[in-house]
Amino acid sequence: MKNIINKTLRYTLMGVFSAMMITSCSIDEVVDPNGPSVGGVLTNASKAQLNELAIGVESTLRNGLGVEVTASGTMARELYLFDADPRNTGDLLGKNGIALDNNSFYSTSQWNGSYRAIKNANLLIEAANNTSAINEEELSGYLGYAKTMIGYELIQILKSYGVARVDVADANNLGPILNINETLARVRTMLDEANVNLNNAGAAFEFPLSSGFSNFDTPSTFIEFNRSIAAIAAVYEGNGTAALTALTDSFFGLTVGLTVGPKHVFGLGGGDQSNPVFRIPSISASEPNNGDQIIVHNSWINDAEVGDTRVTSKTAVRPTPSSQDDLNGTNETRLYASNVTPIDIVRNEELILIYAEASILAGNLQDAENALNVIRNAASLPNYSGNQTVDELTTELLNQRRYSLWAENHRMFDLRRYDLSNTLPIDRAGDQVFNVFPVPLAEEN
Amino acid sequence: MKIFKQIIMKKQTGRSNLILLLLIFFPVILFAQNTITGKIVNGTTGETVPFVNIVEKGTSNGTTSDIDGNFSLDAKSLPTIFVFSSLGFETQELNVNESKSVTITMQESAAALEEVVVTGLASSVKRSNLANAISTVTSEELVGNTGQTTVDGALYGKVTGVNITSSSGAPGGGFALRLRGISSINGNNQPLIIVDGVYVNNVEIPSGLRFASGGNRGNEENSPNRLADLDPNDIENIEILKGSSAAAIYGQRGNAGVVIITTKRGKGGKTKISFSQDVGFNTIQNKLGLRPWTAESVENTFGAAERAQYEATIAANGQLYDYEDEIYGNKGFITDTRLSATGGNERTRFYVGGSYRDEEGIIENTGFDRLSLRANIDHRISDIFDFTSTTNYVRSNSSRSFTGNENEGGLSYGYTLAFTRPWVNLYPDANGNYPNNPNYPGNPIFVRDQAKNDDSNNRIIQGFKLNTKLFTNDANRLRFVINGGIDYLANETYVYVPETHQAQIGGQEGFIAQGKNNFTQFNSQAILVWDHDALGGDLGLTSQLGFTYLDQESNLVNSRGSNLSAGQTNVDQSVNQVIDQFISSEEDSGYFAQVEGNYKDRFIATLGYRLDKSSRNGDPNKLYGFPKASLAVNFTKFNFWKLEAINQLKFRTAYGETGNPAAFGATFTSLGASNIGGNGGSSIAGLNGNPDVEPETATEFEIGLDLGILNNITLEATYYNKNVRDLILSRSLPGSSGFTTETTNLADLRNQGVELAVRADLFDIDNFKWNTAVQFYLNRSEVTRLDVPAFAQPGAGFGTGLGTFYIEEGQPVTQLVGNIDGELVQVGNVEPDFQMAFNNQFTILKQFDFSFLLQWKEGGENLNLSRFLTDLGQTSPDLETTEGQDRLASPANAVRFVEPAGYVRLREMALYYRLKRANVKSWFGNVVENVKLGVSARNLFTITDYSSYDPEVSVNGGAGLSSGIEVAPFPSSKQFYFHLNVNF
Repeated sequence: MKNIINKTLRYTLMGVFSAMMITSCSIDEVVDPNGPSVGGVLTNASKAQLNELAIGVESTLRNGLGVEVTASGTMARELYLFDADPRNTGDLLGKNGIALDNNSFYSTSQWNGSYRAIKNANLLIEAANNTSAINEEELSGYLGYAKTMIGYELIQILKSYGVARVDVADANNLGPILNINETLARVRTMLDEANVNLNNAGAAFEFPLSSGFSNFDTPSTFIEFNRSIAAIAAVYEGNGTAALTALTDSFFGLTVGLTVGPKHVFGLGGGDQSNPVFRIPSISASEPNNGDQIIVHNSWINDAEVGDTRVTSKTAVRPTPSSQDDLNGTNETRLYASNVTPIDIVRNEELILIYAEASILAGNLQDAENALNVIRNAASLPNYSGNQTVDELTTELLNQRRYSLWAENHRMFDLRRYDLSNTLPIDRAGDQVFNVFPVPLAEEN
Repeated sequence: MKIFKQIIMKKQTGRSNLILLLLIFFPVILFAQNTITGKIVNGTTGETVPFVNIVEKGTSNGTTSDIDGNFSLDAKSLPTIFVFSSLGFETQELNVNESKSVTITMQESAAALEEVVVTGLASSVKRSNLANAISTVTSEELVGNTGQTTVDGALYGKVTGVNITSSSGAPGGGFALRLRGISSINGNNQPLIIVDGVYVNNVEIPSGLRFASGGNRGNEENSPNRLADLDPNDIENIEILKGSSAAAIYGQRGNAGVVIITTKRGKGGKTKISFSQDVGFNTIQNKLGLRPWTAESVENTFGAAERAQYEATIAANGQLYDYEDEIYGNKGFITDTRLSATGGNERTRFYVGGSYRDEEGIIENTGFDRLSLRANIDHRISDIFDFTSTTNYVRSNSSRSFTGNENEGGLSYGYTLAFTRPWVNLYPDANGNYPNNPNYPGNPIFVRDQAKNDDSNNRIIQGFKLNTKLFTNDANRLRFVINGGIDYLANETYVYVPETHQAQIGGQEGFIAQGKNNFTQFNSQAILVWDHDALGGDLGLTSQLGFTYLDQESNLVNSRGSNLSAGQTNVDQSVNQVIDQFISSEEDSGYFAQVEGNYKDRFIATLGYRLDKSSRNGDPNKLYGFPKASLAVNFTKFNFWKLEAINQLKFRTAYGETGNPAAFGATFTSLGASNIGGNGGSSIAGLNGNPDVEPETATEFEIGLDLGILNNITLEATYYNKNVRDLILSRSLPGSSGFTTETTNLADLRNQGVELAVRADLFDIDNFKWNTAVQFYLNRSEVTRLDVPAFAQPGAGFGTGLGTFYIEEGQPVTQLVGNIDGELVQVGNVEPDFQMAFNNQFTILKQFDFSFLLQWKEGGENLNLSRFLTDLGQTSPDLETTEGQDRLASPANAVRFVEPAGYVRLREMALYYRLKRANVKSWFGNVVENVKLGVSARNLFTITDYSSYDPEVSVNGGAGLSSGIEVAPFPSSKQFYFHLNVNF
């Protein structure tokens, strides 16, 4: 009996084994259980998928914003970032003769962040062009939106890096890195194309935009944003006339509120981002925030005209001065009230300054002076009293930009494009002034 | 193993089965003319020895001793010779001339060389016939000296060719094993760990802590690796297959080597109970100390206002606050209690044990505890079937607090202490209010007392093995083995930062991360094993053919809440909630065949081939082949060998290939969630998937010599050359592509090394025994092909500015490169020049055992970025010296922070006293068998030029290229123990 059981079992086991050896166990290809695949949206995307990409573009527009502001602000001696990363007070100020590194967070963060948004916009363009889920008018909406956002991001890259790669839709065949003028020309063309698209996009977008784009969330109002970026691009190219033309279709206005304009909004929910430039204020002398703080460069306080309300609205005197790494400051940032306070993408205040600059470039000096007075008066300063010459007005313009756009990634670029970086103060013996970030090491790959 | 197997198998035909059974059960009734009866005793302990195989030489007539060591065997003819053999004992022969009763004294086998080593998936060979340098660590070597928390931590200095990295000094894990150098740049570098046939999980599970601390990646959270769940005291021995030539049969799971762990099993016989109690404490190994501030230096550094504060503190307290001592100065109490029972009869043997270890760390409120229960059962169903079941349940908990890299979290002690000025009072007032730290966004005392970073694990590891003897005759034995197991791990992580923490106020307003993570691993194999005796028994052939299957699933859910209700510790009590989930699923299957031939123990050759496929490869159904071949020649077994002094001279050589598929997800280009203003959006993730990704493949050639001199000295020398082709590289893509990384197969890597091990019994006289073991090993790596431009390895360093691992053709894979004045310069290499270990054991006056283990790591550099922080905070201890000030004035680049990381460390030292048997008997009667008392220490001292806590450090956990970069680590501890061991 036992033998029979044994035998039966033995043969069964042999059978099972043979079966296992012969029937090759086929392994199924695993589909990513954690997220949709890119391939899945590139052909015949649904409208919902397109809209997720469109939202992703707006969302990733915020990538790299924090480092962009603090690193360029430090290099332009607008501010110091006193935190636990010594490179914020070392490398960026050229301490002890050190050079900027092309493989550190300050050189890669904004580049990678901006190009992530550009990639999303390019995916959106490709997906929208490859689906039957939308009609021509709807397609124009997606295209105009995506191209405008790419134009905006390329300008941000130029401001920090001085160069940009424009042809990046095909990850395996990237175009060359272009200089600033080549890039600006491409950006202006792209924004003009977007303008045409937006004009053909009907009354409404198919995709939702956040509250940051309220009043700019239809094709016709989004054009106002598109044109404001086009004006900025034209000014950076030195073309005042083109800028003035673009401004007429933007939301610019000398009597319009200075804060009008689209914004980055922030949230603390899943997949969202918080305001990266916000810093916890020092509540009192007994509870100062000395840990992670944006300290105002003393020169910004000291050089301000008496009574400039921008000094007191954007910064506050600390209970005790702060010092780190042999650097000192009396004021800290008050630019944003909380970690969900929006950051302006572009606001009328900047456009008024762009108008002033474009007017100087175009030779309309009175227009420039009028615009600068709007800015001065808003800061409780009297009208401009200097001479109405190109040089003096340009100096005044740059000074107003310095105070109106403090800690918004403008100063370093302004000084660079007007060749004034060498006028910046040196705080410590051995420090150097850098005015452009190195292109990340990985771009050589 | 082999001898036992043959005898039992030969007895399996027809009626002799019955006779054998009768012989076993009724030894007394079978008295006949030529019957020899007797008792077998252990020559060392005097105990009886059960289940010894007794065979009449030249016949198939045999029996085994019963549970009490008694036997009875009917000789076929007289005179004859009986052969007595049993695993772990020297085989001996007895001339039998007449029917009589005898007492046989078996001597325990002294030479570890006679042990067997697993070489196939279902076969083993005697160590003396082995063709690879397979290191074996016995229970005695592993835990015999001093208390050990984790298996990997216990291996320091005990295995050649291994490099152990510690990523955290926190109790309960944070180690990484590297066998024969780095075998992968982005793939897995941790060896495959198999416990009793079960592929066990050794993951580091991120806790979500980085969302409060600002850490960059999950691997900066200093999570423990889950090998910590295995109680080292459960282990009988560990075999380490270091390279591809030994591990080839494990195919594409074997690239980083294989660690085969066998736990304790029942030996049968009288039930024995063993009780052990360790009591000890943890204390910091090395304190850095305070900068010796003076009033002048305070004023020069921070200004007059700080000088006033400094002077006020000195006036009030007479001294400065020593926060290093406050945070790291805890004496952590350790207890480890173990109770086990082993026994059984001739059909069933069992080992049942339980242990509880509770260990407190050098930071208050940190610690680790582990409850481990084990039941290992071996049962012979019939002469044909036997099975083994191993069951291990573990419940472990750890509290690791906050260390490592962060960005403005105000949590990591290394950061906080670097910026805290020692004249500032951070102690809570009478109402329990903690003052804010004016110089960093965190008060370390508050963090220690109020914030939590805990994990808890429930784990079951179940292994099984069913052995079937399909067919047996004189020259052929065919077996069928099914084995495998399940490792199920339910892990929970919990991070809590109160809303009253300084960095939380005005920001996150309190943070909780609750992780619920499940891992299920299943592996199984079915193998046919055919033992064949050819050439009249001169050639033994073992052939095997098998099939393996592996399935691994994980599901990680992390729920986080911020903006907490006052004092609440539940995610539910938060305003903002974020959940993320990561699911993975992997499936492998493979076939293998292997033939081993043994000609008179003179030539031992193996040929094998494995075919594997995996869902992690670009093509999940493509089979990849991994061949192996080896040859060992034992010169002393030849007839011409006459030299008595040399009792072993073995030449061995082996070749093998292994693989390693890309990490789960490398084939996907996916979109991640990116939301704004309540709208759900998608953004590409950073990884550009590679649908064509292939496994990386290592080919290794090994050659070696084993020498045995005068029966008391053995030498093993090995050279290996391991080439990894088609390395899996997560290379940086140009950021302008929108992607940041891509998985490729665009590089090759070579590791070459030498391993030497000498063991000697230097003295073996009555009152003094001394045996010593010396190990020496080194490894050199080189990137031999790189089809992409050289690049800084993402996630292994902080960029070329501060120094990073840098993958470059023609250079070691472990080089550290920094940007020095715009030039990329190699500033160091974390690979040691060589490592050595000296292990010594003395037995003095029979009752005293003294042992110590000294480990020496020569060369290798670390990047000490903790110093970057203390320099910035002006708190480095040497800043009152001109050297310190000169460093402070130098550019903050990699050259400034690279430091030599060699050391000499007294890893283990122990002294034990075994009570005399007579005393035990007179005090406890027959209840207690023996009693052992001891004291021991671990990491007693370290000699090093390294300026921080411990040169064994890694900020990026154990995976990938990680070792040697330091940022604010959990300082490592030394441990002192008192031991009590009682056997009943």
